Amino acid sequence: MDKERKNIVIIEPSPIVFEGISASIAKRENGYSFFWLENIDEISILQQQKRISIILINPAIIQNRLQEFVKVKNQFPEIYWIGILYSFFDSHILTTLNDTFSITDSISIVIKKINKICKDSTSKLNYNEDLSKREIDVLKLLAKGFSNKEIADKLNISIHTVMSHRKNIMDKTGIRSLPGLTIFAVTKKIITLE
Amino acid sequence: MYQTKKTYITPTSKMLDLINDNHSLLLLLQHFNIDFAVSNATVKELCSKNNVSLNVFLLVGNLYNDFYPEKVESFKVEEVKSLLTFLKNSHAFYIEDKYPELNFYLQKIKDGLSPDDFKLIEKFFNDYYSEVLDHFKYEDEIVFPYFCSLINNSSIPTTAISVEEYRNHHTDIETKLTDLKNLFLKHISIKNELSAKRKFLNSLFELEFDLTIHSIIEEKILIPLVEKIESERNG
Repeated sequence: MDKERKNIVIIEPSPIVFEGISASIAKRENGYSFFWLENIDEISILQQQKRISIILINPAIIQNRLQEFVKVKNQFPEIYWIGILYSFFDSHILTTLNDTFSITDSISIVIKKINKICKDSTSKLNYNEDLSKREIDVLKLLAKGFSNKEIADKLNISIHTVMSHRKNIMDKTGIRSLPGLTIFAVTKKIITLE
Repeated sequence: MYQTKKTYITPTSKMLDLINDNHSLLLLLQHFNIDFAVSNATVKELCSKNNVSLNVFLLVGNLYNDFYPEKVESFKVEEVKSLLTFLKNSHAFYIEDKYPELNFYLQKIKDGLSPDDFKLIEKFFNDYYSEVLDHFKYEDEIVFPYFCSLINNSSIPTTAISVEEYRNHHTDIETKLTDLKNLFLKHISIKNELSAKRKFLNSLFELEFDLTIHSIIEEKILIPLVEKIESERNG
């Protein structure tokens, strides 16, 4: 299963609206997990445990706390904010959000919006499939069985950098296991078998 | 992936219509030991005739039709038996049917690859397969008996399972399967043998589809049930 589950947070005072939205989406799409929050303060706590992709929010929650909201939004630039509209809101509130949908919209419109956002963020990762020179250096050593620490020493870089190269190699090739990466390296003639 | 239409299965759905909409449901029937000659039966009739829990059938069937359960209610003891039958039969299917088939097509594409490349891929496949066998053995010999003893309310066996370890097993099996698929779809080109390669990939997709459902059942249904029973006992 390479489809990683995406976390969607719904910030909305009404439990019925939360249940309604999350259940209608979950019935049609299985790649999403839902979390319910009542205000924006709890986001930073949740973000520490779960990687939040999208937040659906009732704009009434932020209309009197706009400055605070913008601060939170800037703190987590990777999160996409969608307003849930069930009444009229001033446009200066809505422009702080990335997108909106109306409570009278069909659920398929909402799902389309969500799917598109999640697809875009994944495809950006795979944009350039060619490995950089440094990534190839790391891959060669990985395929020969060296540990992160040994690779860091050999290439004179930090372990953190090795791990970040490793992650990029996996994202670009779509191969996550070590034996799989070895096959990749051999068939692409990056290493030869002795 | 095989489905052409998304149908939510209800007790009154006609099985024949469901199969026509999504023929991978044949595999669902096989895993429940139900014959394919379903005639005009509704899901409810079919389940009662074959002694399969209707609730379990609906839950698993809807997973095959790509409906993910929002909440899983607790099952009764007899119902859990249906669930375990399903899981055990799936294991048998993977071992007796799916992996030999994959191996058969893998040998067919041998000539399209350099000997070194083939050797590596074959080793990857064999290592992966023995890992899968170990995992099934662990489930058949430790997890399922542990679970049976819990629901039968008999004394707690000495070998408790580690939920965390159990989850890691799954992730590993799924990662390598995806790797195998990506190697062939993104990186390894094979001279000729297109037909064998397609059959190999088809088979991989079918296995991946079924294994995904298998994992969802174990992780989202079986494990929470175990944890619930455990906490009720301890509390």
